[in-house]
Amino acid sequence: MNRLHKGNRSVKMQHTFSGLLIVVALTLGGCATTGDVAHQAVVNKTDPYENVNRKIFGFNDSVDNYVAEPVSNAYKWITPQFMQTGVFNFFNNLKNINVVINDVLQAKFSQSVEDTGRLAINSTLGLGGLVDVAKHVGLEQNEEDFDQTLAVWGVPQGSYLVLPILGPSTARGIPGAVFDAAANPVSYIGMPVQLLSMLNARASAEGALKFIDEAALDPYVFTRESFLQWRNNLATDGKAEASFDIDDLEDESLDGDNSAAFSQDSSGDAHTDKPGFALRLDEKTQKIEQVSYSFSSVAQSFDATAKSFEEAGNKLDKLETLKRRR
Amino acid sequence: MILKSMKLAVVFMFVLFGTMNAFALDEGDATAKQVVEKFQSDLIDVMKDGKKLGYAGRYEKLKNPVSNSHELTKIARIVVGKEWEKLSEEQQQKLVDVFSQLSIASYAHNFKDYSGESFVFDSEEETTRGGVVVHSHFLIPGDKSVKFDYMLKEKGNSWRIINIIANGVSDLALKRSEYTTILQREGFDVLITKINEKINNYSKQ
Repeated sequence: MNRLHKGNRSVKMQHTFSGLLIVVALTLGGCATTGDVAHQAVVNKTDPYENVNRKIFGFNDSVDNYVAEPVSNAYKWITPQFMQTGVFNFFNNLKNINVVINDVLQAKFSQSVEDTGRLAINSTLGLGGLVDVAKHVGLEQNEEDFDQTLAVWGVPQGSYLVLPILGPSTARGIPGAVFDAAANPVSYIGMPVQLLSMLNARASAEGALKFIDEAALDPYVFTRESFLQWRNNLATDGKAEASFDIDDLEDESLDGDNSAAFSQDSSGDAHTDKPGFALRLDEKTQKIEQVSYSFSSVAQSFDATAKSFEEAGNKLDKLETLKRRR
Repeated sequence: MILKSMKLAVVFMFVLFGTMNAFALDEGDATAKQVVEKFQSDLIDVMKDGKKLGYAGRYEKLKNPVSNSHELTKIARIVVGKEWEKLSEEQQQKLVDVFSQLSIASYAHNFKDYSGESFVFDSEEETTRGGVVVHSHFLIPGDKSVKFDYMLKEKGNSWRIINIIANGVSDLALKRSEYTTILQREGFDVLITKINEKINNYSKQ
């Protein structure tokens, strides 16, 4: 079930980050003091902040070990399975409001009709979303969010970022997540419901996190690569064929020294740069191309925000040295 | 009488030779689709007996199907990228060995029981450089199906799996990032130790 879990894991992981997104935006804003920290040697093009990211990844991991996991285990222990399923379905159903909005923004009109039907059926026959009736009628849950919409509009993915508590994201993923949070009713309801939403997210991610534990030699790289590939696959609806990748990989490793070789490391990046969306779109209409240019500058400014990440890393370092001194 | 028996013998030999030939053809010239489907059916068989076999039994039963359908040597080589050239011959051999064990172990660990799962063939396409991609999906009762795309290359007169892409996540690219990172940051010995740890963990659960 090696591969299988990968898919599920990512899907479930997404639930984990979708809960507290506005908070992150705020946290990030807080860190965004202007600092000109010297760039470290770039190993991976999509992950220029690897050092900081790794530290936050480690931080998240300990938060998960000491807080999230015990609480989530307690939740799973005291809550009967049918209630857990009901809770999962409930939050999943609310997410469909987002899915429908993004269907429309991506001009997937027939899918938006299906997803509206899904939302309507589950909200009525499914007792306000507690039961996933639509699944049995053959309406599958679709995964659409604003990050994917931005990708379809030609916004480049930007750097890979690991956010405190929320986990993996990209420069494009942050505004996407803010929009998604704004469109999700859960964001406007009081604390107990949001807490339940977070519990549900962690509980559904259980299998996924266990799988990473089991399979990953380097959990940080494993999470990064699977996250980027999975997001890229969602954004292109599975059409971004990795077919060419293998030939490239093969050439690279068999031919030996090809200095351009490194750039191919994560397919997410390769696709935005090379045969990616922007290219594909501007073949069709000139208009979209221009749109995508203005968006790329937006993404760049997000990238600049991301640089303040390095600052955050320094703070973490200081914390660590403080801890050691004591 | 002698003539008759000779004739019989000749006919017999022809038949034998014929079937052998057909058999050889079947084994050798298996198409990419056949290689994938054979492997998938072997995997499902092991899953069906999974509980009874236990981890060790599944490992033994999957050993041949995995090594006969996957081009493990080449995969191990691609997975470490340019670092391959820097390894000594002994190290290269060691890497291929533990990598093969890991691949079999992860199948044995992850496909441990059966609850009505099945593989369905979707389509087959040729890539630009003579490879073949077999598109299929894995049906799980009561859950979303998983897309499995197998990338194959010709080896001799047969085809071998060189990459598996599950729901758009390429196993080869994922492993490659991990392995090259570890090699660059921590070196060959750490990589081998980590792989062995994983194999060990798989065998315990």
